[in-house]
Amino acid sequence: MMPMRRLTAFAALLALAMGLRADVRATPGADFGPTPEQAALLEPLAIVVNRSNPVNGLTSSELHKIFLGDRSHWTPDRRITLVMREPGEAERKTILRDVCGMTEDQFKTHFLHGLFTGEILVSPKILASPTGARKFIYNVPGAIGYLRVSDVDDTVKVLRIDELLPNDRSYKLRVDARQVGK
Amino acid sequence: MSEQAKLASGDQASAQPALRDRLLSAAYRHNAPFLLVLVFCAVAVVGGFVIRDLQAANAEAETMYAGSVHGLQRIGELQYDAQETRRATLYALTTSDSNLQVEYADQSRNADQRVKDAIVEYTRQAKRPAENALATRLSQDWGNYLTIRDEVLASILEGSNKEAVSRDLSGGVPSFELVRKDLDEVKALYDDDASQRLANVVATSHRSALRLIGILGFTFLLSSAAVWAIQRSRMLNAIQLAKLQMEFVASVSHELRTPLAVLSSAADNIADGLVEGKAELRKYGGVLQNQSRRMSGLVDEILLFASTEDGKNRYVLQPLAVSRIIESVVASSEALTQGEGFVIVQQVDSALPPVMGDLSGISQCLQNLIGNAVKYSGDSRWIGIRASAGPAEHAPGQEVRISVADRGIGIDRSEIEQIFDPFYRSPRINAAQIHGTGLGLALAKRIAEAMGGKLSVVSELSVGSTFTLHLRIAKGEDLQTATGSRSASSSIS
Repeated sequence: MMPMRRLTAFAALLALAMGLRADVRATPGADFGPTPEQAALLEPLAIVVNRSNPVNGLTSSELHKIFLGDRSHWTPDRRITLVMREPGEAERKTILRDVCGMTEDQFKTHFLHGLFTGEILVSPKILASPTGARKFIYNVPGAIGYLRVSDVDDTVKVLRIDELLPNDRSYKLRVDARQVGK
Repeated sequence: MSEQAKLASGDQASAQPALRDRLLSAAYRHNAPFLLVLVFCAVAVVGGFVIRDLQAANAEAETMYAGSVHGLQRIGELQYDAQETRRATLYALTTSDSNLQVEYADQSRNADQRVKDAIVEYTRQAKRPAENALATRLSQDWGNYLTIRDEVLASILEGSNKEAVSRDLSGGVPSFELVRKDLDEVKALYDDDASQRLANVVATSHRSALRLIGILGFTFLLSSAAVWAIQRSRMLNAIQLAKLQMEFVASVSHELRTPLAVLSSAADNIADGLVEGKAELRKYGGVLQNQSRRMSGLVDEILLFASTEDGKNRYVLQPLAVSRIIESVVASSEALTQGEGFVIVQQVDSALPPVMGDLSGISQCLQNLIGNAVKYSGDSRWIGIRASAGPAEHAPGQEVRISVADRGIGIDRSEIEQIFDPFYRSPRINAAQIHGTGLGLALAKRIAEAMGGKLSVVSELSVGSTFTLHLRIAKGEDLQTATGSRSASSSIS
């Protein structure tokens, strides 16, 4: 009995520990900057829009609403087109975790529900590569998406998030530099 | 009647052909090679013109071909890229895959960039006002289309295909139609330009052909004129030669007949016994002797001239002392001058170098000149013989000149060039009944040239003439050779 009881307790503690860790990392707007060691391994993830977009910065809250489809227009006559990478991409995981505060399934469910009820007008555009995403944003005035800083060029505009640019030390959206693909 | 006589009588009409014939004759004698060179130069110039024209026509055709090919290629590419811009945009409508849509958008933008570059190039090369205006309009129309194209692409990528189609139909199609018309106009302007260039090439070709025909015609005329001139001058020369030969025969006949008549008459008188006494007989013997010598001299001169006709050099050149030559000639000419009251003045510079020549040849030459002076010295009866050294006129170094001068009737300037022609007798001389064969000067000239020398003349009408024999000075090797053979012939005294 003793080994079985000990094993069950270990499993419960492990699950609790994992759940707590997941909760902490999934909390949007958590004010924890990366340590220097982490910063060396993490690459900033820039939020980018079309260059014709007059918006220069967003708050974490506005970004959250946009990526969940709760905000559909920049201005009354300019629709927001959300650009996402394919499921499993590191960048997408970062956005789901740090901006949307959802898992992949929760995100999908959220959009299915929104489209079904009419609360969300357009589903996100899925692009297979950072180049594709960048070109999409370049072609669509109302597009918003995300790119690793190394993938950004002058065809798109990088937004300040909570007044911070990706190269700022306190910038929160970061993706593991070692994760390249799915 | 001579040319001078004709001129003197004021017969201008007949003088013109004579002058022309003389010019032609002179052209034949001296300038026939020049005429041939002239024809050759004309042909060379024609060849140059032809080559230049061909090169120009080829270069123009090449430029036109290259320009046409390049121009057509540019227009073709421009039209294709414009269509490609629109086609790629419309392809994006056919799929809902955002990745493919982005790819089509990319293709459309690449094609539109090529169109922009082509329009810039067209604007840069536009020269005519119509082309400049068209380039500006095309650029504007293309910009308008691209604005709508961007909106259509954005709608497609956003997923609003209906909105994209609507925008394309309302704005894209009309604006692209304007672009298409502009491109058609570009092609039409290019066709006009190509037609103009083709017309230029054709005009150049026609000009070239006309020029070629003209130049060939000119060359043909020039060649014909040259050939005609040569033939004509040859014919005139042949006629003149025949005439001179006839005159020569008449002159020789006359020259022979006079002593023959004297001989015949003297022989008749002796045969008929009309000559009595020793003194009479001696007188007749002297007459027979003189006349037979005169005939002999005449025949010798003719034979000598005939012997020089083949151009062979029969003289043995050796160093000769000038004083010895002068002495020999004066002694030989005594028969001519003795008893006629002639004064022969000799002026021989001291220390003259020996000359290269043949003593008999030089003597013959100078005797002819002295004989000439005797004949034409008129009443002055003065003959000057001068020997001097000076710089050679037509060769480097020095030469010795032996001149025979008279103060006689002189030679007309127009006759100077002809007096050395065989059988030539001046009409003025014939009219003055001064006898001669017309061979003396020709023979003297040939002898002088056969010895490597030259014979020249300076004369003035009614003042006198000076004939100068130019002789080459014997050089060191000539003297050494002569020294070696001195034992056989002591030529330098």
